[in-house]
Amino acid sequence: MRIEHWWFTAPLRLRSLFRRRQVEQELDEELQFHLEHLVEEGIAQGLAPAEARRRALLAMGGIEQRKEEVRDTRRVSWLTDFVADFRYALRSLRRTPALTGFVVVTLALGIGMTSTPFSMLDGLVFRPYPVPHPRNVVSLVSTSHDNPYDFWSYREYLDLRAQAKSYDGVVAHTTTVPIGFSRARGATPQVRGGMLVSANFFSVLGVEPHVGRGFRADEDVAPGRDAVTVLGPDFWKREFASDPAVVGKKVRVNGTEFTVVGVAPESFPSIQQWQRPDVYLPLAMAHVFSTDPQKSFFADRDDRELLVKARLAPAATLARARTEIAGLARDFARENPALYRDRSAAVRTQREMQTRGDRQEWKFIAIGQLLGLAVLLVACTNVAGLLLSRARTRTREIAIRLALGSGRSRLVRLLLTESLVLAVLGAAGGIAIAYFAIGLINTFQIPTDIPVVPPFQFDLRVLIASLVVASSSALLCGLAPALQSTRGDLVNGLKSSDVDAPGRKRLWGRNALVVAQVATSLMLITACFVMARDFRQAALGTTGFAKDHLLMVRFDSRLVQYDAVRTKEFYDLLERRAAAAAGVTSVALTESPPLSLDAFEALSFVPEGFQMPRDRESFTSAMDTVDEGYFATMGVPILRGRGFLRADTAEAPRVAIVNERLAERYWPGQDAVGKRIRLDHRGGPPVEIVGVARTIKYRAPTERPTDFVYLPLAQHRRERLVLLLRTTGDPLRLADPVRDIARTLAPDMPVVEMRTYENLVRYHTVEGPGIAIQTIGTMGAVGVLLAMAGLYGLVSYNVNRRTRELGIRMAIGAGRGAVLRLVIGKGLCLVLIGTAIGLVLAFGIERVLSTAIFGSGGVDVAVYLVAVPSMLAVTMLAAYVPALRASRIAPTLALRYD
Amino acid sequence: MSKPNDLVLGTLDLLLLKILALQPLHGWAIGQRLRSMSGDVLQVSEGSLYPALHKLEQEGWIQAEWKQTENNRRAKFYALTRLGRKQLETETANWERLSAAISQVIRLSEA
Repeated sequence: MRIEHWWFTAPLRLRSLFRRRQVEQELDEELQFHLEHLVEEGIAQGLAPAEARRRALLAMGGIEQRKEEVRDTRRVSWLTDFVADFRYALRSLRRTPALTGFVVVTLALGIGMTSTPFSMLDGLVFRPYPVPHPRNVVSLVSTSHDNPYDFWSYREYLDLRAQAKSYDGVVAHTTTVPIGFSRARGATPQVRGGMLVSANFFSVLGVEPHVGRGFRADEDVAPGRDAVTVLGPDFWKREFASDPAVVGKKVRVNGTEFTVVGVAPESFPSIQQWQRPDVYLPLAMAHVFSTDPQKSFFADRDDRELLVKARLAPAATLARARTEIAGLARDFARENPALYRDRSAAVRTQREMQTRGDRQEWKFIAIGQLLGLAVLLVACTNVAGLLLSRARTRTREIAIRLALGSGRSRLVRLLLTESLVLAVLGAAGGIAIAYFAIGLINTFQIPTDIPVVPPFQFDLRVLIASLVVASSSALLCGLAPALQSTRGDLVNGLKSSDVDAPGRKRLWGRNALVVAQVATSLMLITACFVMARDFRQAALGTTGFAKDHLLMVRFDSRLVQYDAVRTKEFYDLLERRAAAAAGVTSVALTESPPLSLDAFEALSFVPEGFQMPRDRESFTSAMDTVDEGYFATMGVPILRGRGFLRADTAEAPRVAIVNERLAERYWPGQDAVGKRIRLDHRGGPPVEIVGVARTIKYRAPTERPTDFVYLPLAQHRRERLVLLLRTTGDPLRLADPVRDIARTLAPDMPVVEMRTYENLVRYHTVEGPGIAIQTIGTMGAVGVLLAMAGLYGLVSYNVNRRTRELGIRMAIGAGRGAVLRLVIGKGLCLVLIGTAIGLVLAFGIERVLSTAIFGSGGVDVAVYLVAVPSMLAVTMLAAYVPALRASRIAPTLALRYD
Repeated sequence: MSKPNDLVLGTLDLLLLKILALQPLHGWAIGQRLRSMSGDVLQVSEGSLYPALHKLEQEGWIQAEWKQTENNRRAKFYALTRLGRKQLETETANWERLSAAISQVIRLSEA
């Protein structure tokens, strides 16, 4: 029935739309035909032709009204009206190109500055997992005193999977870690990203492999038995040219042969935000993977290397799941009290995981988003102000339309269409700005061993968000002027050109706009200054070590399945030969060099002679494993005691070096040298502190001083190490010699990462902060420009409105200074109020920035000594120019001014 | 929209459909026919037929065609469509049900 209905009516609608002229002509003809009959009837009754015609017209009740009624039956009037409004809007906007251009640019800036941070915030916080029903997927985390987001061990995962009842499936995966990948035996392995996953990973998450299959349940049961792999979609495309015949082929991962069984679909690039695994391997193949060599992946309950996610069962609630996991954690503790002291577990939603308190990126971008919204608000208020002035100059036009019988709602629609057109143009500009800004941000290189893919994209979600923002700003800046200008009373509107209705109420809104603009732009400027200052301090401040002429080269002997003996042999020879290379002054080996983006290992320890708080078994500190050349090569001074020596072998007494801050914390006022700490717990092996090193910057140049412990490599062997080379010339000139040395020592050993320290430090102090400062700076500058324009507009509007009054004042003897004061006084008042509010906002944003991002805290008066006067000066200038023009106007002219 | 006088709300559509079911007619003739068939009881004001006719056309119940009248003038003739015939049946049934119910109520109150 419905379809049949449309079959008949659709052509009619189309005809009404596109053959409008013909339809209208036929309507006219039809009504004329009727009219002629009526006239003939009248003449037949004996009336004079003219009289008959008059009566006929009366009887018809007005041909045009009838036509309009008929038009209304066509069901397309909303559309034709809209098209007419749209055309009219285009025409009237084209008549004022300067204003239109200004409005469009303003809106484009506002929308662009909202969409860009949104795309980043979306990627970091809002975008759901790329799996079906992502809302049901939650993270299970182990929690401890020092880490509320800790990982799980393999054994714990098995217990969780067996005992938790709230889920349709519990999966485990590692982070993406470097692996050595080659297609054939003998080829030098390339470093790629690999992820260990439980066999049910793809099936529980609901990810259908693009070709082949996912893992079978029996493929992570027997350790080392099933050497199968699923490829990541990007990797498949790059490495195998999207060849579906890859299924069944053999590839080599870390020296072991694997059979490709499937390829993950393009819709599932990764479960992680920043990194995309190139190969997935079953958990049971962990022995070829870079797991912690000190522990046994399959046996130790505290070898925590797995992230656990679970899909909530339809009947389960989050609250029940939370109670359940707390119970499971208590069971764990009952069975293994020593391992689970201070430890519990929690269920966290994706959102909770992505807005973790210990992560900086999303906070920074959230602040950026707020600032962007502030710019948008300023832009909208500006546009609203402009449209308001424009609407005033159209008072007469609108009055005539109302007088001719146009409904108010129809007029509001017309005016809103105009702002919609402006918003659409602005949105186009804003989307272009966002598109390029996101492209620019994505070109930014982050110095890591496996490539990081920023989750920022200009996708449909961002596009929709931009359009929503654009249309709501159209409403925001169009509705008030539209309502106000159609409210005016007809008589006054028709009578004179631009008489202002009495009363202050009309101006209240505009004054508020200016105050808001001044306040937000002061806030933006302050934010910009604070960030620039803190990053500059970070860039200028010392990192505590000599960062020039330093090359870092990372290797990982697990990638080629070396045992402990071969690993030691390889690194010993590597270090010795590198030291002998031309241009090398000293070399060292370290596990995690400072400021690299690798996480430091955490060390649990108990300082001897320190009164432990009752609720703590041990303390933790970041640590690094280094050899005897480290402190000299890095240029980190040993303040007391000694550095590591060749004599600190595996058989010698155990030793450690701590940093100044740790020494000061646990042995305040004493010499830490000679004191002992016990590793892991109270009964752990004792280690003597033989030296105190200077506290340097470990993770970021902006960080606050943190505890740090160095352990000698000889006593704590590691497989994944960084060779540091201090050189006399350009460190990059040693790149090829080092590669050659490594190749002769171990032909299939890949170089995981190679870069100069200056590159790392530049990332931390110049490139990273540069983007932030530029972003916020642009926002601040745009905000100030917009506020100036707004203020200028307001004052000149006030001046124009009062031209006649000013003329009278001057005619009866007011001086130019008095007039200037009169006009500018109000602007000054608004600026002061705005500054006061802006100061409050600025204090707030400075606090947030300082504590959330820089950890510096405190308020810097210098920032305000710069920001406030410059803001005042700029805004006063904006008010002064129109005021000066007003005071120069000749009284005779002003009096005639209409 | 101006409503024809003396017509129960919503019955104009029914009457128009009925008249056109008998034969295709142009607007003027429909008006005449309505008046004569109802013995001058039912009248619509001049011209108010047209919005109603156009509405029926837009609904797809009637369709229009330009043809010559007997006086050799061009006029827009309306004719019932298949959809319109169905609509006429439903509306007729509705009307009969409604009027029967109303008459019943009126008779009750007189008794």
